[in-house]
Amino acid sequence: MQLKEIPLEGIPYDRLRIEKVPAAPAYQPRDPDLVPAANRAVVVNPDRICMPIGAMWAVLGVHRAIPFVQGAQGCTTYARYTFCRIFKEPATIATASFHEDAAVYGGRRNLVEGIRNLVVRYWPEVIGVVTTCSSEIMGDDIASFLKEARARLRAEIGPEKAEQIVMVQINTPSFAGSHVEGYDRAAKTFLQALAVKRDAPGNRVNIIPGLLYPGDIREIKHILQAMGVEATILFDISDTLDAPLEPPQRIPYYPPGGTRLAEIREMGNACATVALQADAGGSGAVYLERKFGIPAVMGPTPVGVAATDALLRHLSRFTGRDIPEELRAERGRLLDAMADALHHTMMKRVAIFGDPDIVAGVTRFTCELGMTPVAVAAGTPSRRFPQEVEAVFAEYRDLFLDAPKVFNGGDLFEFEEYLKTLPRLDLIIGNSKGVDIARELEVPLVRVGFPIYDRFGYQKRPIVGYRGAELLLYEIVNALLDYRYPDDRTQQL
Amino acid sequence: MVVKEGEATCLPLCSRPTVPGVISERACAYYGARWVLAPIPDAVHLVHGPVGCAYYGRTVRRKNYRLFSTDLSERDIVFGAGEKLYRAILETCALVPGARAVLVYATCAVGIIGEDLPGICRSAAKVVGRPVVPVNAPGFCASNQAAGHDIAARLLLEHFIGNGGGEPVENGVNLLGEFDVQGDLGEIEALLGEMGLKVICAFSGRASIAAMAQAHRARLNIVHCRRTGHLLAEGMREKFGIPYVKVSFYGLEETAAALRAISRFYSLAIAGEVVARGLRAAREKARPFLARLRGKRVGLFFGGSRMGAMAKAFRELGMEVVLAGSQFGCREDYEEAGHKVADGTVLVDDAHDRELLEFVACSQPHLWVGGTKEKFLVQKLGVPFLVFPQESAPFAGFKGFVNLARQAAGLVSAPVWRLAAGGF
Repeated sequence: MQLKEIPLEGIPYDRLRIEKVPAAPAYQPRDPDLVPAANRAVVVNPDRICMPIGAMWAVLGVHRAIPFVQGAQGCTTYARYTFCRIFKEPATIATASFHEDAAVYGGRRNLVEGIRNLVVRYWPEVIGVVTTCSSEIMGDDIASFLKEARARLRAEIGPEKAEQIVMVQINTPSFAGSHVEGYDRAAKTFLQALAVKRDAPGNRVNIIPGLLYPGDIREIKHILQAMGVEATILFDISDTLDAPLEPPQRIPYYPPGGTRLAEIREMGNACATVALQADAGGSGAVYLERKFGIPAVMGPTPVGVAATDALLRHLSRFTGRDIPEELRAERGRLLDAMADALHHTMMKRVAIFGDPDIVAGVTRFTCELGMTPVAVAAGTPSRRFPQEVEAVFAEYRDLFLDAPKVFNGGDLFEFEEYLKTLPRLDLIIGNSKGVDIARELEVPLVRVGFPIYDRFGYQKRPIVGYRGAELLLYEIVNALLDYRYPDDRTQQL
Repeated sequence: MVVKEGEATCLPLCSRPTVPGVISERACAYYGARWVLAPIPDAVHLVHGPVGCAYYGRTVRRKNYRLFSTDLSERDIVFGAGEKLYRAILETCALVPGARAVLVYATCAVGIIGEDLPGICRSAAKVVGRPVVPVNAPGFCASNQAAGHDIAARLLLEHFIGNGGGEPVENGVNLLGEFDVQGDLGEIEALLGEMGLKVICAFSGRASIAAMAQAHRARLNIVHCRRTGHLLAEGMREKFGIPYVKVSFYGLEETAAALRAISRFYSLAIAGEVVARGLRAAREKARPFLARLRGKRVGLFFGGSRMGAMAKAFRELGMEVVLAGSQFGCREDYEEAGHKVADGTVLVDDAHDRELLEFVACSQPHLWVGGTKEKFLVQKLGVPFLVFPQESAPFAGFKGFVNLARQAAGLVSAPVWRLAAGGF
């Protein structure tokens, strides 16, 4: 946007053109056969990461837990960079430091010595052993290595201390799925390893948030507290990845918070499990249902009115608590804001991309705002995603003249090329990887989902719940305003 | 880890594998290769491996680059992915017809299943009619990212440098190991320009394949970062007979020494004038910040070679350097650093997270300088942190020194640290 080139008065807005500054030099038309990702062997600008980082995310949400990555140093370092850039917090992740000898002889020595080195330096309560492509291809027998590591710990630090350290093995061969699946597997394996059933189910609810930010988890906690529902949040990163600055600190540094071991063990006695993201964490809920008969609810990610309503109804049904006036008022305020903003949001054509659960949730909310999603893309292929968004489109049929395009998997190149063929687009909602596309298409980008590294504070701001939806609405409206009316003096709301 | 005492200082053990199980600050060979090769704009970069490596490799020094990947799936791992790679190379060239070359990066997965990368690249090159070069740096292939730098340097020498023909350019120089972080290259280029010198190619802050083809026409190679530039410099000396000087443009004295060394090579009289002018202006501008920095303790922990020069720059700011270390510095780097720090400074190689934390807690520095990964941890202890390679303004040259002074002073005296230390 170049403010100085826009005349201040006398020209109606629809005739204003902002001069195009191409993001990429020399645009060349693409071979149409090579645009769909399904036709290609090559992937361009993927919107998914590998499995281990999802599992690391999960482990960082456990109290005094450290992920141990059974792979080369890059597998850890790149992930630590990613977490640091998004959360602006330290990410303590240990590496097995695979070198050539490990690639030849396997990772036994690295794991056994590594666990010992980690324990004597950090004294973690939980170690999440996360595998990588290299260890999976070589076929490291992690379970037996861990036995050996435990024996070594017993000899060195004494059986009592050694037994207190919990080790959970999470198999995440990078090539078999994305970060979404990595988180999902972590949820399942943690519950398999730790959850036990003791007596009759209590009144607690399990919540598996999925790949939601600290701000989102805080909002969920607010809802639970308002309803008076006691709950365990599995992988609670709201404090571990959003810790206060309170020097001096003890060494080794551990952030406050995180789900405690005792709480995870107790998850076998809950009255229900709600997985807020079916693809990220849903397997954990399914496991608890099959193993202990705890009823499970999968999604939808509570973005917007209907999805948050659904969450509150589930919580109310499982615990018998009423939906309090406080939350009803929040809902009312959200609806009020939606009505106030209607002339900005209605019939705006929007494209949405990101992780499947987030995209499905945001898609529903944009429909509630009277916007028209024209293309939605899940970076990670998901079985549920197409059905979920199609159901939303069916429900809001009257918003659409043409059927919206649904991409399941694929890459951002394909998404971008499709958007270029559209006659009009008003807004893109997605993560920071969409910056190039937004620049190229001259459309504002509202940042939502994982990862966001080029704006400040988004990890602390919720999009879930009524209040989160209201914040997201502000973001959408202001992005549209900033773009359509770059000179503030000519636009009074 | 050693403490410097007098001239007979011993050096820390370096270039050793990292102990498993620690929170290492090091990265992998693939990371090192990306570090050097990512800025080459007119090649397409294709990562042969699972999609995660391609995703991570897009971001280098906080810049985003377009990256292609073969996105290996379980099936490819089991049945081999050679055919897929071959197709991917062809498709990549169809999508970016203007690309002058294809760089194919190997990853751990590919290294372990044992693909014939060079063979596939050779046969694909015949079809696409341009160089298809394997970057054989799977992550596990070395103890740190420096191996990736070396692999990258060798392949640049072998395939791209000096392909263009043409006569030597009398005032032409190359910069080796200069990545143009936040305008550093511009600062250096301006200084060289004042002396009448012209940068032909900067490896790899401005190293298009077209520019690299001309690099052999330079009369002098200026090595800015030893760990990424040394091998290139040696190679170009052997192949084209171009001599090199190792200099640093960080800090006033270092910059002055660098310009003098370069001018000695060319027998230029003008260097004295450029240096005097630059020093005068920089000292003048930096003065207001120095009062806030005098006597303050600073710790430095970098990737590779720059700890020595930076330690000297911080001493010029009047600060006391308590620690200078690196993730993968080599013997020469520590020798250089040893000369440039005062007695009592700790030199350390491959310090991990816990060690750094312990050191910060014990030495109570007023400022810590290092990479993004360490930033948030050090800050949690109430210690201000300066990210280097820097985040917002050039630090190289005379002007860069003023920026460094300004940023260091701003961080050290920021109110937030007092507010945090005060408690309620």
